[in-house]
Amino acid sequence: MEALIGSQGLTKMTRNELAVAVLVVLPLVGGALAWLAPWRWLRSAVVWLTAGLSAAAGVYAVTLLPFSVTLGSWHEVVAVVCELMLVGLVAYFAWDERGWLIVGLCAVQVGVLIFEWLEGAGQIPVIKDAVFCLDGLAGALVVIINVIGGLILVYATGYMKVHSCHGGGRGAREGRFFLVLTGFLGLMNGLVLANHLGWLSVFWEGTTLCSFLLIRHEGTPEARGNARRALLINVFGGVVMSLAGVVAQRGGAESLEGVLGSRLTVVFVLLCIAALAKSAQFPLQSWLLGAMVAPTPVSALLHSATMVKAGAYLVLRLAPAFEGSAVMDVIALIGGFSFAVAAALAVSQSNAKRVLAYSTISNLGLIVACAGIGTPLAYAAALMIVCFHAASKGLLFLCVGAIEQEIGSRDIEDMGSLLHTMPLTAGVTIAGMLTMLVPPFGMLMSKLMAIEAAIEAPLVVLLVIAGSALTVFFWAKWIGRVQTVSYHARYRLERMPRSMMGVLVVLCAMVLGGGLGSLAIYRQVIEPMALGAFPHAAEKAVAALRAAGQLHSWPILVFPLLAVIAWLVTVWRFNPGYVRLPYLAGENRDETELSYKFTSVKDEPVVAWATSLYFRRTLNEERITPWANLLAWLLVLSLLGVLGGR
Amino acid sequence: MAWSVHELLGRSPWFVHYNCNSCNGCDIELLACLTPLYDVERFGMLHVGNPKHADILVVTGSVNHRNARVLQNVYAQLPTPHVVVGLGVCTSSGGVFAGSYNVLGGVDKVIPVDVFVPGCPPRPEAMMDGFLRAVEILKRKSAGLPSAPAEKEVITVAPPSGPHAEESDAA
Amino acid sequence: MGTVMALFFVVVVAPLVGLVLNGADRVVTARLQGRVGPPLLQPLYDLVKLWRKEPLVVNRVQIGYVYLHLAFMVMTLVLLALGGDMVLALFAHAFSALSLVIGASSVRSPFSRIGAQRKIMQMLAYEPVFILLVVGIYLRTGSFMASAVGRLDAPLIVSLPLVFLAYLVALEIKLEKSPFDVATSHHAHQELVKGVTLEYAGPYLALIEVAHFYETFLLLGIVAAFFVRQIWLGVGVALVVYAGAIVVDNVCARLRTTWMVRCLWTVPVMLAVCNIIWLYVRRTQGG
Ligand code: SF4
Repeated sequence: MEALIGSQGLTKMTRNELAVAVLVVLPLVGGALAWLAPWRWLRSAVVWLTAGLSAAAGVYAVTLLPFSVTLGSWHEVVAVVCELMLVGLVAYFAWDERGWLIVGLCAVQVGVLIFEWLEGAGQIPVIKDAVFCLDGLAGALVVIINVIGGLILVYATGYMKVHSCHGGGRGAREGRFFLVLTGFLGLMNGLVLANHLGWLSVFWEGTTLCSFLLIRHEGTPEARGNARRALLINVFGGVVMSLAGVVAQRGGAESLEGVLGSRLTVVFVLLCIAALAKSAQFPLQSWLLGAMVAPTPVSALLHSATMVKAGAYLVLRLAPAFEGSAVMDVIALIGGFSFAVAAALAVSQSNAKRVLAYSTISNLGLIVACAGIGTPLAYAAALMIVCFHAASKGLLFLCVGAIEQEIGSRDIEDMGSLLHTMPLTAGVTIAGMLTMLVPPFGMLMSKLMAIEAAIEAPLVVLLVIAGSALTVFFWAKWIGRVQTVSYHARYRLERMPRSMMGVLVVLCAMVLGGGLGSLAIYRQVIEPMALGAFPHAAEKAVAALRAAGQLHSWPILVFPLLAVIAWLVTVWRFNPGYVRLPYLAGENRDETELSYKFTSVKDEPVVAWATSLYFRRTLNEERITPWANLLAWLLVLSLLGVLGGR
Repeated sequence: MAWSVHELLGRSPWFVHYNCNSCNGCDIELLACLTPLYDVERFGMLHVGNPKHADILVVTGSVNHRNARVLQNVYAQLPTPHVVVGLGVCTSSGGVFAGSYNVLGGVDKVIPVDVFVPGCPPRPEAMMDGFLRAVEILKRKSAGLPSAPAEKEVITVAPPSGPHAEESDAA
Repeated sequence: MGTVMALFFVVVVAPLVGLVLNGADRVVTARLQGRVGPPLLQPLYDLVKLWRKEPLVVNRVQIGYVYLHLAFMVMTLVLLALGGDMVLALFAHAFSALSLVIGASSVRSPFSRIGAQRKIMQMLAYEPVFILLVVGIYLRTGSFMASAVGRLDAPLIVSLPLVFLAYLVALEIKLEKSPFDVATSHHAHQELVKGVTLEYAGPYLALIEVAHFYETFLLLGIVAAFFVRQIWLGVGVALVVYAGAIVVDNVCARLRTTWMVRCLWTVPVMLAVCNIIWLYVRRTQGG
């Protein structure tokens, strides 16, 4: 054994450890430095540097893939101490916020941890596994976290500058904001790298705390209340996760790999419930909607691109081992239910951030559903959504942030003349939304695969189809509104911090490029990963996986491309003389460029106006949510029931 | 020009109808053109609802201060080549409304008119005849040929006769 | 060679067939109303005329969506003709309608915008039927590839009779026929001035018409596909169905949008669902 580990092996070992350490610690250090920085320019510089370095580290780490890192048994002590410290911090903040229930939950968690510690000291035989490991799935998330997350950090420096100008000088709070936001990247990296349940729990708790602090950032009563709710639900998830740790230890496993290997269904179900809280699935979705009070970069980074993905990631990671069990069927149902109901509720919203929040819940639901279906094709679809959704949705949040700073509203109905007043942002927004729903972009292809994968489960396929249809509806409404342009529009590039504009352009280019190449990405990256996750998949399932990659891809690319080219040519050779007023029965008044007034009784000008459809009466959020929650609770209970009846 | 694109153009004249200030007599007769007895769709004519899809703007009634602007707006939204047809004497002179306090007079005071169809109201046959003339002008316009401006029909009213003649003379 | 022929057929021949069908529609409608009606090739004359007109628009953005509308429509046909994935074709077809919706709502005209919303309502009404159709075909053939339909031993109608009935109702919406022509309508009866197509003039309107020709062919082609193997029977049925749609168009008044959705979701969708459940049950029992 000793002879086998040559010098080559040793350096490889340290390299891997170094990669993990850098990924976790670098953003934390960067955040601390940003906090300490006395001037804004220095803080921005530190954040930029951290973002760049961690993006580079993330990409580098992925080239080392797959690897795992084992540590001596000292790491367990460190993990428990970290966890206890974090729980203490949470309890402190909860006390501060008068969240007695949260304090109670923290106490329970401390109890569970101590119990686990004592029991572990009683020498239950546990299989030792790697503490951290980086496989394909974790690698995909590491890239998303560090590259997209880095871009969002850069955007945030510009955003907060404008934001603080609006809200008055609050330098100290801005420093804390960047401490948490930057440090979050490290915790998130740790979360996806962790294999040991203890460490997973530490990072899980850490991200919860970050999310809480960032939601609370504005300090308004609303922000504090929503932050408290987010903390409550996520701490509940954390407690369930700690319980899972105890059960796993009794089952002789201490890591995700161990749980996978020995098929501990109880642990799996507990982890899934924790995941539902983190991924804001019904019935635990309410915190994500409240989280939208946070500054927009936070929504982009934590509440759409990365942190909420953690839950879906966990389910996805564990799913292959429990393929075909009754538990998985219920999980698929829960995910499909969230997908459809959240999409339906998104239709009824006109607040852009709420639409995005519901759409996020909905897409996470689809990931969970795909994980629950548990065929290679479904797994591949879920991976596609994880990647493409993070990029597109992050971009859309950033756009809404920029729009809100310009027009002072996040209501979709107010976004009527955006192409006129802020052409770049509006163009990027439209592009982002198109990548969410139009072929040949990745999101649509993944929905297609999800439908094809779900076909064997009638109820799930029904939910997935309903959700897909509703998704199309709310995006179409929004696109139509944003690109409503006046005739004779004069386009003038908007003014915004260069960092924001740069990030919007870069991210948009990434989204468009990645989306166009979605089928290639599928064949090159996703398909092998799905095959790797299901080494014993049936021949038919593998054939379905391959078939999805062999779609007739040329018409999907050629026809939309032809249309776009035709459009560009038309616009290029456009004769402004062809522009006419819209038809308003001849009563138009050509007064301003933006209003479409017509002459009414007594020659009074009246603005012509038609809002979009929201079905506020049928899809009433307040009326539907309790019922949906009830149903979802029943599903969760049936998850436990399946467990009991096993 | 026996068979050309312009010839084909004349086979599908879609018209939009704008009621300026009409007494509705002309409008009702215009709708009669669509009925089975007259059936203008034989000539490929369609009655469309908005100027942007139309080739022929059919105006009925005289123009007044209020709707002159509307008529101009509608006219501006017609894509070229297009033709304007005025139905009824109102469109050529203001008809029975001429000289009224708010009436400007014929449609040609506001927009150029290509064909006038006389009558109060004109018979559907007369209207269809006017449409077919309009189609000829449409073809000429499409080919870039000059088209003669519309001549207003000169309507001579026979002197009153019969028992009431003297009364009206006396009045 | 077969592929080239198929492509040629759907790209070049299909719109011509659609054109003649639409011309026939206008003649038959006129005869039903006791009129003589236009010549058979009237849609062609309309197209040529529209192509020669001035391309008036309200803004530049809306133009792109006309192209997308047509492109997605042709793409649907091409995908099906190549025996490609039916779910993808379904999406492409939906996006064709959706492009029109987005294009129409990008002009600030209330007529156009309300037309767009009604189009969305139409989609809500008919899309379930189309989706159930695809699901049904999958359950029958075990594959999402359209080419699998051609390899069936018995025609689809045998196993999907109720879905076929539901499809006939959905067809009436897709062809913009009364009682469901709420978003826009062809020919002389105007709803909402012209709804979604209101702000498109000249060549753009012509392109929308061309897309409609493709769509007519596509929709009737699907009817024929129910009888695949006995293709001439299928073509005959498709023609009969088309004639029936025209008759219904002429004897019905227009419904409100909510009634339309309710009307579709109660009987036709439920019929289709019954059919699907039946297929599922047979599958699970069969193996
Ligand atoms: S011409 Fe006669 S029928 Fe026609 S609108 Fe004038 S008054 Fe009425």
